[in-house]
Amino acid sequence: MQSIQGVGISLKHQHFQEFMNHKPDVPWLEIHTENFFSQASTSSKYLAKIRQDYPISAHCVGMSLGSAAINCPVREQHLHHIKSTVEWLQPGLISDHLSWSASQGGHYLPDLLPLPLTEEAFTIVANNIKQAQDILQRQILVENPSSYLTYVDSPMTEWQFLSSLAEETGCGLLLDINNIYVSAHNHHFDSLTYLNNIPLSAVKEIHLAGFSTEIVEGKELYIDTHGDRVCDDVWLLYEQAIKRFGALPTLIEWDTNIPDLAVLLEEKSKAEAIITKVASIEKSNLIANTVNGQS
Amino acid sequence: MTKLAELQTNFIHDCLSGALTADNTLMANDLNTQLISAQGLMGIYQSSAIANITNSLSLSYPVIEKLVGKGFFQVMCKPYIVKHWPTSGNMDDYGEYFSSFLAEFEQVRHLSYLEDVAQLEWRFHQSSLANDNSYFDWARLAEVASSETITFLLSPSVSIMSSTMPVDKIWLMNQVNAPENIELSLDGDGDSDIFIVLFRQGLKTEMMTVDESEFTFLQSIENGLNFETAIESAKAVDANIAIDHGLKKYIELGIISGFLI
Repeated sequence: MQSIQGVGISLKHQHFQEFMNHKPDVPWLEIHTENFFSQASTSSKYLAKIRQDYPISAHCVGMSLGSAAINCPVREQHLHHIKSTVEWLQPGLISDHLSWSASQGGHYLPDLLPLPLTEEAFTIVANNIKQAQDILQRQILVENPSSYLTYVDSPMTEWQFLSSLAEETGCGLLLDINNIYVSAHNHHFDSLTYLNNIPLSAVKEIHLAGFSTEIVEGKELYIDTHGDRVCDDVWLLYEQAIKRFGALPTLIEWDTNIPDLAVLLEEKSKAEAIITKVASIEKSNLIANTVNGQS
Repeated sequence: MTKLAELQTNFIHDCLSGALTADNTLMANDLNTQLISAQGLMGIYQSSAIANITNSLSLSYPVIEKLVGKGFFQVMCKPYIVKHWPTSGNMDDYGEYFSSFLAEFEQVRHLSYLEDVAQLEWRFHQSSLANDNSYFDWARLAEVASSETITFLLSPSVSIMSSTMPVDKIWLMNQVNAPENIELSLDGDGDSDIFIVLFRQGLKTEMMTVDESEFTFLQSIENGLNFETAIESAKAVDANIAIDHGLKKYIELGIISGFLI
Protein backbone atom coordinates (compact mmCIF):
# COMPACT_ATOMS: atom_id res chain seq x y z
CA MET A 1 0.00 0.00 0.00
CA GLN A 2 1.36 3.40 -1.00
CA SER A 3 1.79 6.37 1.35
CA ILE A 4 -0.33 9.44 0.56
CA GLN A 5 1.22 12.69 1.85
CA GLY A 6 1.37 16.32 0.76
CA VAL A 7 -0.75 17.95 -1.96
CA GLY A 8 -1.87 15.71 -4.83
CA ILE A 9 -4.01 16.37 -7.88
CA SER A 10 -6.76 14.57 -9.82
CA LEU A 11 -5.40 12.42 -12.63
CA LYS A 12 -7.36 13.13 -15.82
CA HIS A 13 -6.90 11.36 -19.16
CA GLN A 14 -6.03 14.71 -20.78
CA HIS A 15 -2.80 14.69 -18.75
CA PHE A 16 -1.79 11.02 -19.14
CA GLN A 17 0.93 11.77 -21.67
CA GLU A 18 2.47 14.55 -19.56
CA PHE A 19 2.69 12.25 -16.56
CA MET A 20 4.19 9.50 -18.70
CA ASN A 21 6.71 11.71 -20.51
CA HIS A 22 7.64 14.47 -18.05
CA LYS A 23 6.84 13.03 -14.62
CA PRO A 24 5.82 16.34 -13.00
CA ASP A 25 6.62 16.79 -9.33
CA VAL A 26 3.40 15.69 -7.64
CA PRO A 27 3.50 13.52 -4.50
CA TRP A 28 0.36 11.51 -5.31
CA LEU A 29 -2.59 11.28 -7.68
CA GLU A 30 -6.26 10.60 -7.13
CA ILE A 31 -8.37 8.69 -9.64
CA HIS A 32 -12.08 8.00 -9.96
CA THR A 33 -12.08 4.26 -9.37
CA GLU A 34 -15.10 3.75 -11.63
CA ASN A 35 -13.11 4.96 -14.66
CA PHE A 36 -10.75 2.01 -14.32
CA PHE A 37 -13.11 -0.93 -13.81
CA SER A 38 -11.87 -2.50 -17.04
CA GLN A 39 -8.21 -3.23 -16.48
CA ALA A 40 -7.81 -3.88 -20.22
CA SER A 41 -8.99 -0.41 -21.23
CA THR A 42 -6.65 2.17 -22.71
CA SER A 43 -7.02 4.37 -19.61
CA SER A 44 -6.12 1.49 -17.31
CA LYS A 45 -3.03 0.72 -19.36
CA TYR A 46 -1.85 4.32 -18.96
CA LEU A 47 -2.63 4.17 -15.24
CA ALA A 48 -0.67 0.94 -14.89
CA LYS A 49 2.40 2.80 -16.11
CA ILE A 50 1.76 6.07 -14.23
CA ARG A 51 1.23 4.29 -10.90
CA GLN A 52 4.78 2.98 -11.07
CA ASP A 53 5.93 6.55 -10.34
CA TYR A 54 3.05 7.97 -8.26
CA PRO A 55 1.10 6.73 -5.23
CA ILE A 56 -2.60 6.50 -6.03
CA SER A 57 -5.68 7.34 -3.98
CA ALA A 58 -8.88 5.61 -5.16
CA HIS A 59 -11.86 7.97 -4.98
CA CYS A 60 -15.18 6.25 -5.65
CA VAL A 61 -18.49 7.82 -6.65
CA GLY A 62 -20.77 4.80 -6.82
CA MET A 63 -20.68 2.77 -3.59
CA SER A 64 -24.04 4.38 -2.80
CA LEU A 65 -23.36 4.22 0.93
CA GLY A 66 -26.70 5.86 1.71
CA SER A 67 -28.80 3.45 -0.32
CA ALA A 68 -31.69 1.91 1.61
CA ALA A 69 -32.10 -0.87 -0.94
CA ILE A 70 -31.84 -4.29 0.71
CA ASN A 71 -29.90 -7.05 -1.08
CA CYS A 72 -29.32 -4.56 -3.88
CA PRO A 73 -27.46 -6.27 -6.75
CA VAL A 74 -26.52 -2.89 -8.25
CA ARG A 75 -24.61 -1.96 -5.07
CA GLU A 76 -23.11 -5.39 -4.48
CA GLN A 77 -21.90 -5.73 -8.07
CA HIS A 78 -20.40 -2.25 -7.85
CA LEU A 79 -18.58 -3.06 -4.60
CA HIS A 80 -17.03 -6.14 -6.17
CA HIS A 81 -15.88 -4.10 -9.18
CA ILE A 82 -14.24 -1.70 -6.70
CA LYS A 83 -12.68 -4.61 -4.81
CA SER A 84 -10.98 -6.00 -7.93
CA THR A 85 -9.79 -2.51 -8.97
CA VAL A 86 -8.44 -1.87 -5.46
CA GLU A 87 -6.66 -5.25 -5.44
CA TRP A 88 -5.01 -4.26 -8.71
CA LEU A 89 -4.10 -0.68 -7.75
CA GLN A 90 -3.27 -1.11 -4.04
CA PRO A 91 -4.18 2.55 -3.42
CA GLY A 92 -3.00 4.45 -0.35
CA LEU A 93 -6.52 5.65 0.43
CA ILE A 94 -10.05 4.62 -0.64
CA SER A 95 -12.94 7.03 -0.33
CA ASP A 96 -16.57 7.62 -1.29
CA HIS A 97 -19.35 9.99 -0.28
CA LEU A 98 -22.12 10.45 2.26
CA SER A 99 -24.71 10.10 -0.49
CA TRP A 100 -26.70 7.52 -2.42
CA SER A 101 -27.19 6.59 -6.08
CA ALA A 102 -29.03 3.23 -6.22
CA SER A 103 -32.70 2.72 -5.41
CA GLN A 104 -34.69 -0.30 -4.22
CA GLY A 105 -36.02 -0.72 -7.76
CA GLY A 106 -32.54 -1.46 -9.10
CA HIS A 107 -32.12 1.91 -10.77
CA TYR A 108 -28.99 3.98 -10.51
CA LEU A 109 -28.41 7.69 -10.88
CA PRO A 110 -24.79 8.70 -11.55
CA ASP A 111 -24.82 11.54 -9.04
CA LEU A 112 -24.14 12.12 -5.34
CA LEU A 113 -27.71 12.36 -4.05
CA PRO A 114 -28.49 13.88 -0.64
CA LEU A 115 -29.71 11.92 2.37
CA PRO A 116 -32.17 12.99 5.05
CA LEU A 117 -30.04 12.94 8.21
CA THR A 118 -32.26 10.71 10.35
CA GLU A 119 -31.69 7.77 12.72
CA GLU A 120 -32.99 5.44 9.99
CA ALA A 121 -30.49 6.83 7.47
CA PHE A 122 -27.68 6.63 10.04
CA THR A 123 -28.26 2.91 10.64
CA ILE A 124 -28.38 2.23 6.90
CA VAL A 125 -25.21 4.21 6.08
CA ALA A 126 -23.32 2.69 9.02
CA ASN A 127 -24.26 -0.84 7.89
CA ASN A 128 -23.28 -0.07 4.30
CA ILE A 129 -19.91 1.36 5.38
CA LYS A 130 -19.25 -1.74 7.50
CA GLN A 131 -20.17 -3.94 4.54
CA ALA A 132 -17.82 -1.98 2.23
CA GLN A 133 -14.98 -2.17 4.76
CA ASP A 134 -15.59 -5.92 5.20
CA ILE A 135 -15.49 -6.54 1.45
CA LEU A 136 -12.48 -4.31 0.85
CA GLN A 137 -10.78 -5.49 4.04
CA ARG A 138 -9.66 -1.99 4.98
CA GLN A 139 -10.80 1.40 6.18
CA ILE A 140 -12.63 3.70 3.78
CA LEU A 141 -12.93 7.49 4.04
CA VAL A 142 -16.36 9.11 3.76
CA GLU A 143 -16.62 12.55 2.17
CA ASN A 144 -19.12 15.29 2.93
CA PRO A 145 -21.03 16.06 -0.30
CA SER A 146 -22.36 19.38 -1.60
CA SER A 147 -26.13 19.60 -1.50
CA TYR A 148 -28.81 21.85 -2.92
CA LEU A 149 -31.84 20.79 -0.90
CA THR A 150 -32.76 19.82 2.65
CA TYR A 151 -35.44 17.47 3.90
CA VAL A 152 -38.34 18.28 6.21
CA ASP A 153 -37.40 15.30 8.38
CA SER A 154 -33.65 15.66 8.94
CA PRO A 155 -32.97 16.24 12.64
CA MET A 156 -29.17 15.82 12.65
CA THR A 157 -26.53 18.20 11.33
CA GLU A 158 -24.14 16.84 8.73
CA TRP A 159 -21.17 17.22 11.09
CA GLN A 160 -22.98 15.26 13.83
CA PHE A 161 -23.91 12.58 11.32
CA LEU A 162 -20.36 12.21 9.95
CA SER A 163 -18.70 12.32 13.38
CA SER A 164 -21.03 9.59 14.68
CA LEU A 165 -20.40 7.48 11.57
CA ALA A 166 -16.65 7.63 12.13
CA GLU A 167 -17.13 6.56 15.74
CA GLU A 168 -19.62 3.80 14.92
CA THR A 169 -17.86 2.23 11.91
CA GLY A 170 -14.19 3.14 12.26
CA CYS A 171 -14.26 4.83 8.87
CA GLY A 172 -12.15 7.92 8.32
CA LEU A 173 -13.46 11.23 7.02
CA LEU A 174 -12.51 13.06 3.85
CA LEU A 175 -13.35 16.72 4.37
CA ASP A 176 -14.12 18.57 1.16
CA ILE A 177 -13.61 22.21 2.15
CA ASN A 178 -15.33 23.47 -0.99
CA ASN A 179 -18.36 21.27 -0.29
CA ILE A 180 -18.62 22.68 3.25
CA TYR A 181 -18.49 26.19 1.77
CA VAL A 182 -21.06 25.42 -0.95
CA SER A 183 -23.52 23.69 1.40
CA ALA A 184 -23.05 26.40 4.07
CA HIS A 185 -24.09 29.02 1.51
CA ASN A 186 -27.02 26.96 0.18
CA HIS A 187 -28.36 25.98 3.61
CA HIS A 188 -27.30 28.97 5.70
CA PHE A 189 -24.98 27.45 8.28
CA ASP A 190 -21.54 28.56 9.44
CA SER A 191 -18.58 26.81 7.77
CA LEU A 192 -16.33 27.23 10.81
CA THR A 193 -18.94 25.69 13.12
CA TYR A 194 -18.90 22.68 10.77
CA LEU A 195 -15.07 22.43 10.86
CA ASN A 196 -14.85 22.89 14.60
CA ASN A 197 -17.31 20.09 15.31
CA ILE A 198 -15.49 17.41 13.34
CA PRO A 199 -13.31 15.22 15.60
CA LEU A 200 -9.59 15.77 15.00
CA SER A 201 -8.58 12.14 14.73
CA ALA A 202 -11.24 11.17 12.17
CA VAL A 203 -10.08 13.32 9.25
CA LYS A 204 -7.58 11.64 6.94
CA GLU A 205 -7.77 13.68 3.72
CA ILE A 206 -8.91 17.07 2.44
CA HIS A 207 -10.37 18.02 -0.96
CA LEU A 208 -10.27 21.44 -2.60
CA ALA A 209 -12.17 22.37 -5.76
CA GLY A 210 -14.03 25.14 -7.57
CA PHE A 211 -17.78 25.72 -7.91
CA SER A 212 -20.19 27.72 -10.06
CA THR A 213 -23.34 29.70 -9.24
CA GLU A 214 -26.87 29.23 -10.52
CA ILE A 215 -30.02 31.29 -10.01
CA VAL A 216 -33.04 29.10 -9.22
CA GLU A 217 -36.39 30.88 -8.76
CA GLY A 218 -34.51 34.11 -7.97
CA LYS A 219 -32.23 32.51 -5.35
CA GLU A 220 -28.50 32.12 -5.88
CA LEU A 221 -27.23 28.59 -5.27
CA TYR A 222 -23.62 27.43 -5.34
CA ILE A 223 -23.18 24.33 -7.49
CA ASP A 224 -20.25 21.98 -6.95
CA THR A 225 -18.85 21.61 -10.48
CA HIS A 226 -15.15 20.85 -9.90
CA GLY A 227 -14.57 22.95 -12.99
CA ASP A 228 -12.75 26.05 -11.74
CA ARG A 229 -9.99 27.32 -9.49
CA VAL A 230 -10.48 27.23 -5.71
CA CYS A 231 -12.07 30.53 -4.60
CA ASP A 232 -10.46 32.90 -2.06
CA ASP A 233 -12.97 32.13 0.71
CA VAL A 234 -12.30 28.42 0.37
CA TRP A 235 -8.54 29.03 0.60
CA LEU A 236 -9.18 30.90 3.89
CA LEU A 237 -11.31 28.04 5.17
CA TYR A 238 -8.61 25.59 4.11
CA GLU A 239 -6.10 27.49 6.22
CA GLN A 240 -8.41 27.11 9.21
CA ALA A 241 -8.75 23.40 8.46
CA ILE A 242 -4.95 22.92 8.32
CA LYS A 243 -4.64 24.80 11.64
CA ARG A 244 -7.22 22.49 13.21
CA PHE A 245 -6.40 19.11 11.63
CA GLY A 246 -2.73 19.52 10.71
CA ALA A 247 -1.02 19.05 7.35
CA LEU A 248 -3.31 16.33 6.01
CA PRO A 249 -3.03 14.93 2.48
CA THR A 250 -4.83 17.46 0.30
CA LEU A 251 -6.23 17.03 -3.19
CA ILE A 252 -6.74 19.65 -5.89
CA GLU A 253 -9.87 18.15 -7.46
CA TRP A 254 -10.85 19.04 -11.03
CA ASP A 255 -13.39 17.04 -13.05
CA THR A 256 -14.97 19.33 -15.67
CA ASN A 257 -13.55 21.94 -18.08
CA ILE A 258 -10.17 20.29 -17.56
CA PRO A 259 -7.44 22.95 -17.92
CA ASP A 260 -3.74 22.58 -18.72
CA LEU A 261 -1.83 20.60 -16.13
CA ALA A 262 0.02 23.80 -15.24
CA VAL A 263 -3.19 25.23 -13.74
CA LEU A 264 -3.60 22.26 -11.41
CA LEU A 265 0.05 22.55 -10.44
CA GLU A 266 -0.44 26.26 -9.61
CA GLU A 267 -3.36 25.39 -7.34
CA LYS A 268 -1.22 22.67 -5.76
CA SER A 269 1.50 25.26 -5.02
CA LYS A 270 -1.07 27.54 -3.34
CA ALA A 271 -2.15 24.71 -1.04
CA GLU A 272 1.48 23.88 -0.25
CA ALA A 273 2.16 27.54 0.58
CA ILE A 274 -0.72 27.52 3.07
CA ILE A 275 0.56 24.34 4.73
CA THR A 276 4.03 25.91 4.98
CA LYS A 277 2.59 29.17 6.35
CA VAL A 278 0.54 27.39 9.05
CA ALA A 279 3.54 25.27 10.04
CA SER A 280 5.71 28.38 10.25
CA ILE A 281 3.21 30.22 12.47
CA GLU A 282 2.85 27.18 14.72
CA LYS A 283 6.63 26.92 15.02
CA SER A 284 6.92 30.63 15.92
CA ASN A 285 4.13 30.28 18.49
CA LEU A 286 5.78 27.23 19.98
CA ILE A 287 9.11 29.04 20.34
CA ALA A 288 7.41 32.12 21.78
CA ASN A 289 5.48 30.01 24.29
CA THR A 290 8.63 28.15 25.28
CA VAL A 291 10.56 31.40 25.76
CA ASN A 292 7.70 32.96 27.72
CA GLY A 293 7.42 29.86 29.86
CA GLN A 294 11.10 30.12 30.79
CA SER A 295 10.95 33.77 31.77
CA MET B 1 -40.50 -0.72 1.61
CA THR B 2 -38.83 1.42 4.32
CA LYS B 3 -39.40 5.17 4.50
CA LEU B 4 -35.93 5.95 3.11
CA ALA B 5 -36.23 3.34 0.36
CA GLU B 6 -39.53 4.90 -0.72
CA LEU B 7 -38.01 8.39 -0.69
CA GLN B 8 -35.11 7.21 -2.86
CA THR B 9 -37.44 5.53 -5.35
CA ASN B 10 -39.44 8.76 -5.61
CA PHE B 11 -36.25 10.82 -5.98
CA ILE B 12 -35.05 8.80 -8.97
CA HIS B 13 -38.55 8.90 -10.44
CA ASP B 14 -38.53 12.71 -10.29
CA CYS B 15 -35.08 12.90 -11.87
CA LEU B 16 -35.73 10.51 -14.75
CA SER B 17 -39.43 10.76 -15.57
CA GLY B 18 -39.29 13.84 -17.75
CA ALA B 19 -40.79 17.30 -17.15
CA LEU B 20 -41.43 18.13 -13.48
CA THR B 21 -44.58 19.99 -12.49
CA ALA B 22 -46.14 20.85 -9.13
CA ASP B 23 -48.55 17.93 -9.62
CA ASN B 24 -46.13 15.18 -10.61
CA THR B 25 -43.19 15.91 -8.28
CA LEU B 26 -43.27 12.94 -5.90
CA MET B 27 -40.75 14.54 -3.54
CA ALA B 28 -42.93 17.61 -2.84
CA ASN B 29 -43.84 16.69 0.75
CA ASP B 30 -40.32 15.63 1.75
CA LEU B 31 -38.43 18.84 0.97
CA ASN B 32 -38.00 22.20 2.65
CA THR B 33 -39.50 24.52 0.06
CA GLN B 34 -39.60 27.90 1.84
CA LEU B 35 -37.15 29.46 -0.65
CA ILE B 36 -37.34 27.26 -3.75
CA SER B 37 -40.23 25.03 -4.88
CA ALA B 38 -39.96 21.23 -4.92
CA GLN B 39 -39.83 21.14 -8.73
CA GLY B 40 -37.13 23.83 -8.68
CA LEU B 41 -35.03 21.83 -6.21
CA MET B 42 -35.57 18.51 -7.96
CA GLY B 43 -34.90 20.25 -11.27
CA ILE B 44 -31.31 20.93 -10.12
CA TYR B 45 -30.73 17.21 -9.54
CA GLN B 46 -32.63 16.28 -12.69
CA SER B 47 -30.41 18.56 -14.80
CA SER B 48 -27.28 17.22 -13.16
CA ALA B 49 -28.33 13.57 -13.61
CA ILE B 50 -29.34 14.06 -17.25
CA ALA B 51 -26.06 15.92 -17.93
CA ASN B 52 -23.99 13.14 -16.30
CA ILE B 53 -25.75 10.40 -18.24
CA THR B 54 -25.58 12.41 -21.48
CA ASN B 55 -21.85 12.75 -20.91
CA SER B 56 -21.56 8.96 -20.71
CA LEU B 57 -23.46 8.62 -24.00
CA SER B 58 -21.24 11.29 -25.55
CA LEU B 59 -18.13 9.29 -24.59
CA SER B 60 -19.55 6.16 -26.21
CA TYR B 61 -21.05 7.87 -29.29
CA PRO B 62 -18.70 10.73 -30.30
CA VAL B 63 -19.37 10.31 -34.05
CA ILE B 64 -23.15 10.41 -33.60
CA GLU B 65 -22.68 13.56 -31.51
CA LYS B 66 -20.57 15.09 -34.27
CA LEU B 67 -23.03 14.10 -36.99
CA VAL B 68 -26.14 15.54 -35.34
CA GLY B 69 -24.37 18.40 -33.49
CA LYS B 70 -23.69 18.73 -29.75
CA GLY B 71 -26.90 20.66 -29.02
CA PHE B 72 -29.21 18.24 -30.79
CA PHE B 73 -27.33 15.26 -29.31
CA GLN B 74 -28.24 16.57 -25.85
CA VAL B 75 -31.87 17.03 -26.91
CA MET B 76 -31.94 13.51 -28.32
CA CYS B 77 -30.35 11.90 -25.24
CA LYS B 78 -33.03 13.12 -22.86
CA PRO B 79 -35.89 10.95 -24.22
CA TYR B 80 -33.46 8.02 -24.45
CA ILE B 81 -32.55 8.45 -20.77
CA VAL B 82 -36.21 8.80 -19.78
CA LYS B 83 -36.91 5.53 -21.64
CA HIS B 84 -33.80 3.64 -20.46
CA TRP B 85 -32.96 4.36 -16.81
CA PRO B 86 -29.41 3.30 -15.81
CA THR B 87 -29.28 0.05 -13.85
CA SER B 88 -25.55 -0.08 -13.11
CA GLY B 89 -23.04 2.09 -11.34
CA ASN B 90 -20.60 1.28 -14.12
CA MET B 91 -21.63 3.82 -16.75
CA ASP B 92 -19.52 2.01 -19.36
CA ASP B 93 -22.46 -0.41 -19.48
CA TYR B 94 -24.96 2.31 -20.35
CA GLY B 95 -26.15 3.09 -23.88
CA GLU B 96 -26.59 -0.38 -25.37
CA TYR B 97 -29.96 0.43 -26.96
CA PHE B 98 -29.01 3.78 -28.45
CA SER B 99 -28.79 2.52 -32.05
CA SER B 100 -32.31 1.07 -32.05
CA PHE B 101 -33.56 4.23 -30.33
CA LEU B 102 -32.11 6.34 -33.18
CA ALA B 103 -33.90 4.15 -35.73
CA GLU B 104 -37.21 5.04 -34.06
CA PHE B 105 -36.54 8.66 -33.06
CA GLU B 106 -38.76 10.75 -35.33
CA GLN B 107 -36.45 13.73 -35.95
CA VAL B 108 -33.59 11.54 -37.24
CA ARG B 109 -35.47 8.49 -38.57
CA HIS B 110 -34.81 9.65 -42.14
CA LEU B 111 -31.04 9.48 -41.50
CA SER B 112 -31.03 5.74 -41.97
CA TYR B 113 -27.26 5.40 -41.56
CA LEU B 114 -27.29 6.68 -37.96
CA GLU B 115 -28.53 3.37 -36.55
CA ASP B 116 -25.58 1.43 -37.98
CA VAL B 117 -23.03 4.15 -37.16
CA ALA B 118 -24.26 3.99 -33.54
CA GLN B 119 -23.99 0.22 -33.59
CA LEU B 120 -20.42 0.51 -34.87
CA GLU B 121 -19.57 3.01 -32.11
CA TRP B 122 -21.04 0.75 -29.42
CA ARG B 123 -18.91 -2.11 -30.75
CA PHE B 124 -15.83 0.16 -30.68
CA HIS B 125 -16.68 1.06 -27.09
CA GLN B 126 -17.08 -2.59 -26.05
CA SER B 127 -13.92 -3.59 -27.87
CA SER B 128 -11.90 -0.90 -26.09
CA LEU B 129 -13.00 -2.33 -22.71
CA ALA B 130 -12.62 -6.03 -23.51
CA ASN B 131 -9.98 -8.23 -21.91
CA ASP B 132 -6.62 -8.56 -23.61
CA ASN B 133 -5.89 -11.31 -26.11
CA SER B 134 -4.24 -14.42 -24.81
CA TYR B 135 -1.04 -15.69 -26.43
CA PHE B 136 -1.79 -17.96 -29.41
CA ASP B 137 -0.20 -21.38 -29.00
CA TRP B 138 1.22 -22.04 -32.48
CA ALA B 139 3.22 -25.03 -31.26
CA ARG B 140 0.13 -26.77 -29.93
CA LEU B 141 -1.75 -26.09 -33.14
CA ALA B 142 1.07 -27.75 -35.09
CA GLU B 143 0.66 -30.87 -32.94
CA VAL B 144 -3.05 -31.28 -33.59
CA ALA B 145 -3.81 -34.39 -35.63
CA SER B 146 -5.73 -33.77 -38.84
CA SER B 147 -8.52 -36.05 -37.68
CA GLU B 148 -9.35 -33.90 -34.65
CA THR B 149 -12.12 -31.34 -34.68
CA ILE B 150 -10.84 -27.85 -34.01
CA THR B 151 -12.95 -24.91 -32.95
CA PHE B 152 -11.16 -21.57 -33.16
CA LEU B 153 -11.88 -18.75 -30.69
CA LEU B 154 -12.11 -15.04 -31.43
CA SER B 155 -10.28 -12.61 -29.14
CA PRO B 156 -12.43 -10.88 -26.49
CA SER B 157 -12.01 -7.52 -28.25
CA VAL B 158 -13.23 -8.75 -31.64
CA SER B 159 -16.58 -7.59 -32.90
CA ILE B 160 -17.99 -8.14 -36.38
CA MET B 161 -20.91 -6.45 -38.12
CA SER B 162 -22.32 -5.86 -41.58
CA SER B 163 -24.21 -2.88 -42.94
CA THR B 164 -25.86 -1.73 -46.13
CA MET B 165 -24.43 1.72 -45.41
CA PRO B 166 -20.78 2.81 -45.70
CA VAL B 167 -20.53 3.23 -41.93
CA ASP B 168 -16.80 2.55 -41.97
CA LYS B 169 -16.24 5.61 -44.16
CA ILE B 170 -18.66 7.76 -42.16
CA TRP B 171 -16.82 6.79 -38.98
CA LEU B 172 -13.41 7.49 -40.54
CA MET B 173 -14.48 10.89 -41.90
CA ASN B 174 -15.43 11.96 -38.40
CA GLN B 175 -12.13 11.15 -36.73
CA VAL B 176 -9.41 13.65 -35.86
CA ASN B 177 -6.97 13.83 -38.81
CA ALA B 178 -9.42 11.95 -41.07
CA PRO B 179 -8.15 11.23 -44.60
CA GLU B 180 -9.40 13.85 -47.07
CA ASN B 181 -9.94 11.60 -50.06
CA ILE B 182 -12.81 9.43 -48.79
CA GLU B 183 -15.62 9.08 -51.35
CA LEU B 184 -19.02 8.52 -49.86
CA SER B 185 -22.32 7.36 -51.38
CA LEU B 186 -25.39 6.96 -49.18
CA ASP B 187 -27.60 5.13 -51.71
CA GLY B 188 -27.75 2.04 -49.52
CA ASP B 189 -29.07 -0.06 -52.41
CA GLY B 190 -27.92 -3.33 -50.85
CA ASP B 191 -25.41 -4.12 -53.62
CA SER B 192 -22.50 -2.73 -51.69
CA ASP B 193 -22.87 -4.26 -48.24
CA ILE B 194 -19.83 -3.77 -46.11
CA PHE B 195 -18.41 -6.24 -43.62
CA ILE B 196 -16.44 -4.92 -40.67
CA VAL B 197 -14.12 -6.54 -38.14
CA LEU B 198 -13.05 -4.60 -35.04
CA PHE B 199 -10.12 -5.86 -33.01
CA ARG B 200 -7.73 -4.30 -30.52
CA GLN B 201 -4.01 -4.10 -30.99
CA GLY B 202 -2.15 -2.63 -28.02
CA LEU B 203 -4.00 0.49 -26.90
CA LYS B 204 -5.95 0.97 -30.12
CA THR B 205 -9.09 -0.64 -31.53
CA GLU B 206 -8.57 -1.21 -35.26
CA MET B 207 -11.26 -1.44 -37.95
CA MET B 208 -10.82 -3.69 -40.96
CA THR B 209 -13.23 -4.39 -43.82
CA VAL B 210 -13.37 -7.92 -45.21
CA ASP B 211 -15.30 -9.58 -48.04
CA GLU B 212 -18.50 -11.53 -47.46
CA SER B 213 -16.85 -14.95 -47.43
CA GLU B 214 -14.29 -13.90 -44.78
CA PHE B 215 -17.09 -12.33 -42.78
CA THR B 216 -19.08 -15.55 -42.96
CA PHE B 217 -16.03 -17.52 -41.82
CA LEU B 218 -15.48 -15.23 -38.81
CA GLN B 219 -19.19 -15.14 -38.03
CA SER B 220 -19.23 -18.95 -37.95
CA ILE B 221 -16.32 -18.93 -35.49
CA GLU B 222 -18.09 -16.32 -33.40
CA ASN B 223 -21.13 -18.61 -33.32
CA GLY B 224 -19.00 -21.46 -31.97
CA LEU B 225 -18.97 -23.59 -35.15
CA ASN B 226 -15.99 -25.86 -35.72
CA PHE B 227 -13.29 -25.16 -38.31
CA GLU B 228 -14.69 -27.50 -40.99
CA THR B 229 -18.19 -26.08 -40.74
CA ALA B 230 -16.83 -22.50 -40.80
CA ILE B 231 -14.93 -23.31 -44.01
CA GLU B 232 -18.05 -24.84 -45.58
CA SER B 233 -20.07 -21.72 -44.72
CA ALA B 234 -17.43 -19.43 -46.20
CA LYS B 235 -17.11 -21.55 -49.37
CA ALA B 236 -20.85 -21.39 -49.87
CA VAL B 237 -20.35 -17.65 -50.36
CA ASP B 238 -17.08 -17.85 -52.32
CA ALA B 239 -15.76 -21.24 -53.41
CA ASN B 240 -12.30 -19.74 -54.02
CA ILE B 241 -11.73 -18.28 -50.53
CA ALA B 242 -8.09 -18.75 -49.42
CA ILE B 243 -8.73 -20.03 -45.91
CA ASP B 244 -5.09 -20.86 -45.09
CA HIS B 245 -3.95 -17.32 -45.87
CA GLY B 246 -6.91 -15.82 -43.98
CA LEU B 247 -6.43 -18.00 -40.91
CA LYS B 248 -2.74 -17.05 -40.63
CA LYS B 249 -3.63 -13.36 -40.99
CA TYR B 250 -6.37 -13.53 -38.32
CA ILE B 251 -4.03 -15.25 -35.87
CA GLU B 252 -1.19 -12.80 -36.51
CA LEU B 253 -3.53 -9.82 -36.08
CA GLY B 254 -4.85 -11.25 -32.83
CA ILE B 255 -8.38 -11.67 -34.21
CA ILE B 256 -8.24 -15.40 -33.47
CA SER B 257 -6.53 -15.98 -30.15
CA GLY B 258 -7.10 -19.61 -29.31
CA PHE B 259 -8.74 -22.92 -30.17
CA LEU B 260 -10.48 -25.87 -28.60
CA ILE B 261 -10.10 -29.52 -29.57
